[in-house]
Amino acid sequence: MKNIRVLIGILGMDQHEVAAVGIAKMLRDHGMEVIYAGCFNTPETLFQSAIEEDVDVIGISSHSWEYLYYLPELMELLAAEEEPVPVVVGGSVVTAKDAQELTAIGVAAVYGSGASDGEIIDSIKELADR
Amino acid sequence: MPSTVRTKSGIPLKNIYTPEDDPDRDYQRDLGNPGSYPFTRGTRDNPGGGWIQRELSGEGDPLRSNAQFKYLLEMGQTGIDVIGDSPTMSLMDPDHPLAKYVVGTQGVSVCCHNDYRDLLRDIPLDEISISSSAPGMFTVASLYLLAKEGGISPAALRGSVLQWPFYSENCGYAYKMPFDLHLRMSCDVIEFCSREMPRFHGYLEDTYFFSEAGLNAVEEAALGFIEIRHIVRTLLNRGLAIDSFAPRIAILVNCTMDFYEEIAKIRAMRRIFSRMMKEEFGAQDPRSMAVNIACHTSGLSLTSEQPANNIVRGAVQTVALGLAGIQALEISTFDEGFRTPSEEAHRVGLRTQQIVDLETNITKVQDPFGGSWFMESLTDEVEGKILALVEEIESRGDPAELVTSGYFRQFFEGTMSRHHQQMSAGEITKVGLNVHKIPEEEDTLLRDVSEVKIEPYRQRADDIAAFKLSRDQAGVNESLLRVHNTVQSPGKNIMEGVINAVQIGATMGEVIGVMRQASGEPYDPYGHLRSPIEDLL
Repeated sequence: MKNIRVLIGILGMDQHEVAAVGIAKMLRDHGMEVIYAGCFNTPETLFQSAIEEDVDVIGISSHSWEYLYYLPELMELLAAEEEPVPVVVGGSVVTAKDAQELTAIGVAAVYGSGASDGEIIDSIKELADR
Repeated sequence: MPSTVRTKSGIPLKNIYTPEDDPDRDYQRDLGNPGSYPFTRGTRDNPGGGWIQRELSGEGDPLRSNAQFKYLLEMGQTGIDVIGDSPTMSLMDPDHPLAKYVVGTQGVSVCCHNDYRDLLRDIPLDEISISSSAPGMFTVASLYLLAKEGGISPAALRGSVLQWPFYSENCGYAYKMPFDLHLRMSCDVIEFCSREMPRFHGYLEDTYFFSEAGLNAVEEAALGFIEIRHIVRTLLNRGLAIDSFAPRIAILVNCTMDFYEEIAKIRAMRRIFSRMMKEEFGAQDPRSMAVNIACHTSGLSLTSEQPANNIVRGAVQTVALGLAGIQALEISTFDEGFRTPSEEAHRVGLRTQQIVDLETNITKVQDPFGGSWFMESLTDEVEGKILALVEEIESRGDPAELVTSGYFRQFFEGTMSRHHQQMSAGEITKVGLNVHKIPEEEDTLLRDVSEVKIEPYRQRADDIAAFKLSRDQAGVNESLLRVHNTVQSPGKNIMEGVINAVQIGATMGEVIGVMRQASGEPYDPYGHLRSPIEDLL
């Protein structure tokens, strides 16, 4: 069975990396391959990396409201693909209402700051298996 | 049975301390009165107690932030503390394509001298201390010009700008420029301020922002001293006298919930700084040895869950800082898990400071922990660990090379991962997050305020683009070319050229862009913009 490949990135000018780096390491420790895209991404750069790296899941970490504007753009780019890569979003700034809006545009899962490692791993595994 | 409880830095805490824990204390050598070498007990004799009370502010455009400052001053704030939005903090103008969704949402958008005029409109610059997290070189340039425009001597200006050449690129405030250039900018600002604005702290060492990458108190202080020492050496190599600039070095520290250790850290940092300046660098002016310490309480210590609990965290941290003795404070507000501080949260932060200052007598006794067997032994241990870590890291090579080789980036990735692991394993207890949780639908208190968002100021991009078209472009280009050429002349201070450029209307993004170009880097590291002086080079 091939390893699950996850692209982790932060959008726009947001440079809060603690969670992104922490989650990337945690996923690697659980046998996943993580392509860490770091900061200063746009929907285009993440989309390109996701295709080039043939990832199973895209994970967006966010501590800035920019994700609200960029995610619809990213989802649109992905939707044009035959098999759109699922997108998950994490961050303390994501409110319950934001989470609903994200789900409505097709984001597969939203993790709040209280999400456990187990929940995140299970959810990514399930998405990668689809 | 010995306790297994440890501070965040790993120092074991005993259940009880006795004289045996602090046997060899020499009061004059190790402590001294507040205001006396080695300044362990306080930078100055401050019988009135208290500190500059302020809240980190800035949102939207300069005029909206100006109104915010006036509101906070009306609420009793005693200094101004301003931060730029993320494009500003990255030296990017608001009309840059990458800035579009984030102009003014996480700080104020400032990019030119006119912006600073609006930002500080009606603020008496000779009375109010201005602490700016917005890019130091441009804040200093505009403050200098504003003072002159207002008929005030720049020598009367008080406040500070942050310098972070070592860690910004790897930890939250990337300038996308070569390390040598960033270091030179910092040193040029410090040198300029010590000459022209002698009351102003041209060098506020910011250990806050990088310590939020999950560092413990020892790591925070150690990395801070590595940077301080390198900057001081660089300035001495330029031929400056230590006493010409050291009195205006200050440190902005973090304060987490590790109550005792944070107090010990501040006491240890004062002692380390004073001995470093006196013994290593030969300072003779006592002011060079007494470091002002300001604090920003830890945003990472807050939770999005049950945001009202964050008010308590801010209060506990303020008590710790009142006991440690500090010169200035801003509390991370209760809603910062979600958003840039609301007006309500700012007021609560300010009121927290005022309550501790005015209602408790906490600040009326200086360094009340002085002589405590426990606190003195903890201060010694923290100090010992800080010095050991400084030595360990410096033994790996020239600190500047450690920056460029990526050592510190790896260091931060390690601490970020460790923070995640500690949270996941429950080693860091967070009430409301990993213990004592409540169902989401019951978690409503202060949520209404916390969840309001600030819309991006899209209009700013158009306004600045229009402003750029309205300028004397030939004059701007000439000033930019001059900055470019100064950067290519080693040993020349860049400040004068920058002041000239911003005075004539050049923007932050343009000035920095040509400075990057002069160092052989692209004008726009994000690849969208063309340099206005491309054809002149």
